[in-house]
Amino acid sequence: MSEPARASWLRPALTGFRDAAMLPAWVVGLSLTGVGTLARDSGFPVEVAVLSTVIVWAGPSQVLFFASIATGAAWSAIAVAIAFASLRFLPLTVSLLPLLRRPGQGFGQQLLLSHYVAVTSWVEGMRRLPALPPEQRVPYYLGFGNALIAISALCTYVGFHLAGVVPTPVAAGLLFLSPIFFIASMSAGARGWPDGLAIALGFGLTPLANWLFGSGFDLVVGGVAGGTLAFLLKRLAAARGGAA
Amino acid sequence: MTQPIAFLDGPWWPYLALFLFAVLPTGIWRWLAVAFARRLDETSPWLDWVRMVAASLLAGVAAKLTFFPPGALAQTPLALRLAALATAVAIVVLARRKVMLGVVLAQLVLIGGAWLAR
Repeated sequence: MSEPARASWLRPALTGFRDAAMLPAWVVGLSLTGVGTLARDSGFPVEVAVLSTVIVWAGPSQVLFFASIATGAAWSAIAVAIAFASLRFLPLTVSLLPLLRRPGQGFGQQLLLSHYVAVTSWVEGMRRLPALPPEQRVPYYLGFGNALIAISALCTYVGFHLAGVVPTPVAAGLLFLSPIFFIASMSAGARGWPDGLAIALGFGLTPLANWLFGSGFDLVVGGVAGGTLAFLLKRLAAARGGAA
Repeated sequence: MTQPIAFLDGPWWPYLALFLFAVLPTGIWRWLAVAFARRLDETSPWLDWVRMVAASLLAGVAAKLTFFPPGALAQTPLALRLAALATAVAIVVLARRKVMLGVVLAQLVLIGGAWLAR
């Protein structure tokens, strides 16, 4: 790579790393401290806990994995539950990758980019990437994603060794940090009322789906129903000439 | 605790289990998405739909943690959890999209409230 090309990669990558390390990485990291705690409870070594953050890179999957093992669930049931809980990565990745698309981009680079897709990188990416020039987006996103994973891995390690030391209200705050962050940053990134409606419907319909169908399918049912309904109302409003 | 599968037994089984039962079922969707996304136009309405479903799914994850809280979170009242989320949304909407301020104030509501309610 030539000097100017390297510089043009490095600067956005460092900006991305810094932007993530300012706050979002610590938010995700704090929510992954609990994974370290869970992993220790279910008899796994600290290496597996930290490795899970780096290579699974999905809080709910990691929680399901370590928590289900502790309760003695069958391996097949664990894998199926995790597959359902991870279905969200399909729409998340499909909607994020076009923002990162570059001329001549290979399959391998897209696979690499897709690994960093998680709730936080999606929410932040959808909010921050459109403002960047297209050629800076991939290095920015990789810098951002690597900061998220590195800091979260550190937090998982700390969580493994911190188990049960903090008082209950603080522990509750840690557990609730991710949902607060999702909702706050999605509300900040919402483009008009249909996005707000999609968020509100997902929040309202998922508990209803849980009550109707149980906890295996509730996320998928609530999310697809809420998002589809908001989408259809947006199209309807647009067809009638209302601004959306 | 779930027993190691016989053919995976040995010192490496926690790593193999992690790969087979956590990495694969999580990663498969990211890989499938890569295969799909190549054929998509950035401005297609289908993508808009997918984006809204994703937002709705994430709000659903937040709702599950709110209504079916794990561990220490279960010891806080539901009203307090809802109040914390409402604080975050109100700050972000009213204070010109200041996400960090919203997160911090929402945390103050939750932890402060939980402390007083102990």
